Amino acid sequence: MKVAYYSPLPPERSGIADYSALLLPALARRIEVAVARRGSRRAPRGTDLALYHVGNDPEHHWWIVEALRKRPGVVVLHDFVLHHLVAGMTLGRNEGAGYLDAMQREAGAVGRMLAHGVIDGLLPPVWEHRAHEFPLTGEVLPFASGVIVHSRYAEKRVREHGYAGPVWRIPHPAWPAPMELPAAGLPSGHFVVGAFGHLNRAKRLPQLLEAFALLRERVPKALLLLVGPLAPGFEPELQEGVIHHGYVDEQRLSSLLAATDVSVSLRYPTMGETSGVVVRALGLGRPLVVSDVGWFADLPDEVAVKVPVGDDEVEVLADTLEGLVRDPARRQAMGTAARTLAEGEHELERVAEAYTAALEEAAGGEAIRDVLTAEVAAAAAETGLRTGGEALGEIAERLREVGRGR
Amino acid sequence: MRIAVCAPQVPFIRGGAEIVGDDLVEELRKRGHEAELVTVPFKWYPSERVLTQAFLWRLLDLEEADGAPIDLLIATKFPSYAVRHPNKVVWLLHQFRQAYELDRTDLGQFDESPEQRALRREVHRLDRLSLGEAKRLFAISQNVADRLESSTGLVAEVLPPPPQELPYRCDEYGDFVLSVGRIDRAKRVELLLEALAADSSLRCVIAGEGPDRERLERLARARGLDGRARFAGRVSEEELADLYARCLAVYYAPVDEDFGLVPYEAFLAEKPVVTTTDAGGPLEVVRDHTTGLVVEPTPAALAEACAWLAGHLDSAREWGRAGKIEAERISWDHTVERLLA
Repeated sequence: MKVAYYSPLPPERSGIADYSALLLPALARRIEVAVARRGSRRAPRGTDLALYHVGNDPEHHWWIVEALRKRPGVVVLHDFVLHHLVAGMTLGRNEGAGYLDAMQREAGAVGRMLAHGVIDGLLPPVWEHRAHEFPLTGEVLPFASGVIVHSRYAEKRVREHGYAGPVWRIPHPAWPAPMELPAAGLPSGHFVVGAFGHLNRAKRLPQLLEAFALLRERVPKALLLLVGPLAPGFEPELQEGVIHHGYVDEQRLSSLLAATDVSVSLRYPTMGETSGVVVRALGLGRPLVVSDVGWFADLPDEVAVKVPVGDDEVEVLADTLEGLVRDPARRQAMGTAARTLAEGEHELERVAEAYTAALEEAAGGEAIRDVLTAEVAAAAAETGLRTGGEALGEIAERLREVGRGR
Repeated sequence: MRIAVCAPQVPFIRGGAEIVGDDLVEELRKRGHEAELVTVPFKWYPSERVLTQAFLWRLLDLEEADGAPIDLLIATKFPSYAVRHPNKVVWLLHQFRQAYELDRTDLGQFDESPEQRALRREVHRLDRLSLGEAKRLFAISQNVADRLESSTGLVAEVLPPPPQELPYRCDEYGDFVLSVGRIDRAKRVELLLEALAADSSLRCVIAGEGPDRERLERLARARGLDGRARFAGRVSEEELADLYARCLAVYYAPVDEDFGLVPYEAFLAEKPVVTTTDAGGPLEVVRDHTTGLVVEPTPAALAEACAWLAGHLDSAREWGRAGKIEAERISWDHTVERLLA
């Protein structure tokens, strides 16, 4: 089987590019993979199936969605909410009509009016604060012959959206633990809280800074390490004890992550995404503090403390961090559980095998879909069993049990 | 207790799996249970047929029979475990191996077309569903349990089946190596014939029937083995016990076998077993220089091992007796107790 593979790839700075760089070699050991060139409109030749990695960032994914619309295939939905992507592919190209239509398909007349308000500058952009209410995932799902998601949360959202095709839940692969890492170069003797990735409001940075200030009053030796570019226009005041690094390469990222005592990954609203940073932290055996939303809420309690989003968020977060400072045994246990999880369901070869199974099912699934039902129907017809009768009803029930019902 | 033992049948074919099914029913009855073997014919080719044949089992209603409930259902090998029952226990002899470890080997069945690849995945899906429903899972060997876990994530307790009851005895360590079992490619009888071709001092008796017999007989003639390799065909229980009693050693080296009753039978006749490093299940009981010889799967290595045993009868006897102690540990009392626990 030969699969056309559409994804951003390094040196593009995208979590999905890093994801594909990790997955591709393991996948290519199992099936033939033809990687599509960025921006190419033609599918690689002689492929049986196409695999499209779709995320919410239009800069990295516009061409992939365009290719998908030309040739349906299996979609890896890295984010459930695709509002930003769709806005970029419509309004970003001065194609207001496309955005209006997408919003109308999503939410009827209300959606269209809202979109008009945004275009006319009467309302703030939907994608800034309300994208999760209008995910616009319907702009992609109709072209998917199957969908791969990383979490139960995303699977549930896809089904709630009415998608009836096959859905495979395949965990995010973990990066193999590095043999040796260069020193992080952080001041010694401190309790290091880390937050990694694009730093913006949705990562709850204001709340984290506030909670850290409380923690610092109680634990003066605490440090907050922020790693990643700040979102444009987002310039929080970084108080004492806060260290900020911008974009860092993979090795430096691992070094810094390994040097943290606790890794914090907060999120709200969630776009239904999986966090590559959290998966890296699992592999490095770091204790986690996350928001109690989306995929993050699916993480086992043994590896992550979950902080509810809401009024008490800052206080709960500060208390949680303080509790972890004072309980090294718990941090140790969480780190061990994190490693076990990374080496289990997130293990790269296991994930690549699950991809292979999904792709094989998708490539030949259509052709064999009716193998069973056709033979049963033929036998029923030959023996005069009629549709609607009790006997056929029971057969239909058994077919449903083995996933072949209608 | 009313117990249904479920096993597929391949009409006109009888091998280890059939023996295990029959024996289980008999042993359950001996212990006062009402037990019955339930079988449905299984034809696995063309590949599309695998699913429909498995589905036949799904349509069976074995919750009760003649107005009385069936308390327990013990399913054995694919596709019998697709059956529904509120108290389904699976004693796994093997999954549909062509969809797993035999895939993309000479013994595989599914080609590289997208349709065939997808059919193979359908078998996996059906296994996850139907084996996942079982109240308890047992596997006949660690090899089968390991395959199950790696393919479905399901964990099974290892419960080996006791060998069939025969009048086992040891008369001598004679001048022939014995091969017992169904003659098909997977049992790799060919390797034994090639070993005979490599060493003209060796002799063998091949007991059993199967689709590969004609080809192997031609091969034996082509290698000039006339008189040294005897195809005994299907033999009676007495004849089989007699062959075990008189042979030098027993050859048993299928490719990645699930379990293999033959080594246990050989041990009960105090005979060492010669097997290969890639034989799978047999390696759990045939230990090199302890209960037999484990060699590379090449004619030269096998010939050397058989010739060595012929020159070291004391070792053959010692290892055969060590095997007997091991084989006698496996009893139907324990097996039935676990299955009904």
